[in-house]
Amino acid sequence: MLGALNPAAGTRYTLSAGQATTRTVTYLDTVDWRLRRKGLVLRHERATSEAGTLRLDGTGDAVSATLPSPVAWPARIEHLPDGELRDGLADAMWVRAVAPVAKGRLVTREAAVLNEDGKIVVRLDWAELTGSEPVRTEPLVRVTVRPLLGYRRDAERVTRALRDSEGFEPAEDTLYQALLAAVGSTAEAIARPAISADMPADVAVATALLGFADTIVDNVDGVVDDVDTEFLHDLRVAVRRSRSLIKLAGDVLPERLVARHAPGFKWLGDVTTPTRDLDVYLLELEELAAGLVAGERQDLEPFAEHLDRERRKARRALVRALRSQRFTRLLDGWRSGLAGIAEREESEKDSERGLAARELVAGRLRRMVKKVTRRAQAITPDSPSEDVHDLRKRCKELRYLLEFAKPLCDESAFRAALKDLKKLQDILGDFQDGEVQSAALRVFAERMQEDPSRPPAATLLAMGELSARFVTLQRQARHDLTAALERFLGPDTQVRSEALLP
Amino acid sequence: MRIVASYNVKGGVGKTTAAVNLAYLSAREGRRTLLWDLDPQGAATFLFRVKPRVKGGGGRLVRRERPIGAALKATDFTGLDLLPADVTYRNLDLDLAGAHGRSTKASRALGRLLGELADDYDVVFLDTPPSLSLVSENALRASDVVLVPIIPTVLALRTYDQLAEFVDGFDGRRPRLHAFFSMADRRKSLHREIIASLPGERDGISPTAVPALSQVEQMAVHRAPLPVYAPDSPATRAYHSLWTELAGLAGA
Repeated sequence: MLGALNPAAGTRYTLSAGQATTRTVTYLDTVDWRLRRKGLVLRHERATSEAGTLRLDGTGDAVSATLPSPVAWPARIEHLPDGELRDGLADAMWVRAVAPVAKGRLVTREAAVLNEDGKIVVRLDWAELTGSEPVRTEPLVRVTVRPLLGYRRDAERVTRALRDSEGFEPAEDTLYQALLAAVGSTAEAIARPAISADMPADVAVATALLGFADTIVDNVDGVVDDVDTEFLHDLRVAVRRSRSLIKLAGDVLPERLVARHAPGFKWLGDVTTPTRDLDVYLLELEELAAGLVAGERQDLEPFAEHLDRERRKARRALVRALRSQRFTRLLDGWRSGLAGIAEREESEKDSERGLAARELVAGRLRRMVKKVTRRAQAITPDSPSEDVHDLRKRCKELRYLLEFAKPLCDESAFRAALKDLKKLQDILGDFQDGEVQSAALRVFAERMQEDPSRPPAATLLAMGELSARFVTLQRQARHDLTAALERFLGPDTQVRSEALLP
Repeated sequence: MRIVASYNVKGGVGKTTAAVNLAYLSAREGRRTLLWDLDPQGAATFLFRVKPRVKGGGGRLVRRERPIGAALKATDFTGLDLLPADVTYRNLDLDLAGAHGRSTKASRALGRLLGELADDYDVVFLDTPPSLSLVSENALRASDVVLVPIIPTVLALRTYDQLAEFVDGFDGRRPRLHAFFSMADRRKSLHREIIASLPGERDGISPTAVPALSQVEQMAVHRAPLPVYAPDSPATRAYHSLWTELAGLAGA
């Protein structure tokens, strides 16, 4: 190190090196790079065999926490030690787990630059990081010049000398960024191929469906390993998107391909539902418990334990399904069929003079908007719940169709149309949640009663209170729906939806 | 921010040695510490290997023509900064009087100047020149505690009493005096007697005695605080005790 830094000393100064420290550094982030997107860097450092230290940069002052015992990665927020570091991460991590994105060996050493009186006038921090996972890298070196109070000129002189020497140049990235680049990580969400207006309609639909199928496959491991609940959520969203698009535009694809695979996605939706429903309950339970008025927070503990047992059971079935031949065959057959269409030779695409994506999108969007409008107009304060649920489902289909059409739409028109729809969807969602949740609580209560270890009365009472709250939520949503529909059916929304059509 | 002055009207009694070692111990415990070398001889500045120079001199500093922050220097020790001595400090009395006339303002100017640094430091040590001048009066008035090194002799005690009387005459806020035995030689019976009896008889006199050892004198050779090169020396232990007493007294 001293040899490399010699230019800093020149003839005016002498260098004195401190002791070197070697640590294993593991950089962590969520699978969707949530920390990086918020400018946070989380790393685990370990000198020897101890559990090590977690360090978080990017929240102002760096925060660190000594781990009392080793943490197994991936880890969710509740697996990290209580304290300032956890507080600083909670919002960014949300319900997602952090896992290693790169690992390496970090050697740090401080060097002091001394003047003719033997006084330290500048400090140099030498950091050398050699990546070991996911791949081995060459050593990456950063030297930080630390000016000392009252010795700025010396720091400038040393910086200049280093810059003028061979082998040093101003760093434009941090060691972490350099390591990510060296291991070939783009640190971005995987970009799916986008559709374009001139694409043949079947190519566009196949491209989008292929993207959804990839998302399903990408999330399987996270679901099987139970890394965090978002893997299953993302998998299910991709299933729903696939089913909607098959329903609304699947007719442009070969009939046999659709007929063979579409039922499989219904199965996939059904087989993932029980675990997701339980996930939602468990994620919300703390907040629900905090809102109890008559009951106490701990009254719901037997309910939480019941949910946990049910979830373990549901997950076993889910994992079996995701490891089944049926699942593998479904995704393999579907993806290869779609790939055959999406990756068709350019010449073949040109030779066809069929429907273009633009026309498909315009036609289907117009039809879907009309359908949603008709259903929305038919809703009155006295309409049965089924009609409201039906409208909710159609709105969801419109939403997925809009998202499919996004690359073809004017950006601001798209944003405005989506905003209108989202407002309505939120209220419809509350209506649905209220009904489903209160009904589910009744089923849970009955099942718990059947269990040999019957729950205490306080638990059932607290569950009753929750049920009443969901009914109130549903009533409130029903009340808000009238005004929301008026807004949605008003002239502004109509204008915005016309502006959207390509 | 707490202010501690190391003061004695006599020279060569261990004022600078105490200021340097105690400031070092204060910083080592994590307190942001500043040492202001007010003595134009610049012994503390020399011990920290810093050049004895303040741009614009002491005059511009006390007239507030240059910010005090611009004159600060980092020492080689984390958390310990130095406001170096400058040869112009020999005129600091005149500068203070010139800037503020004969008013009481003149005797409180250094305290106000240090107020600028209140957010930056937890403890400030003032290493004062050996005299009873406007500069030393400023240092005494600015301080929470005045640390008085005394050689265990009768004459030295007389000077301490004079100082106590002088401080007693201050209007309003008075610093606490905290004397300790410096350059104590246990081979001398008078030293032993005074060290044994005096702390019990008089207030403000610490039982801590820093022995006269060549290790202490070698600070000028090492150009470093004593605990850095002689961590196990009896003198280092004495400074540790003294710092514990002082931190309690100053509420630092």
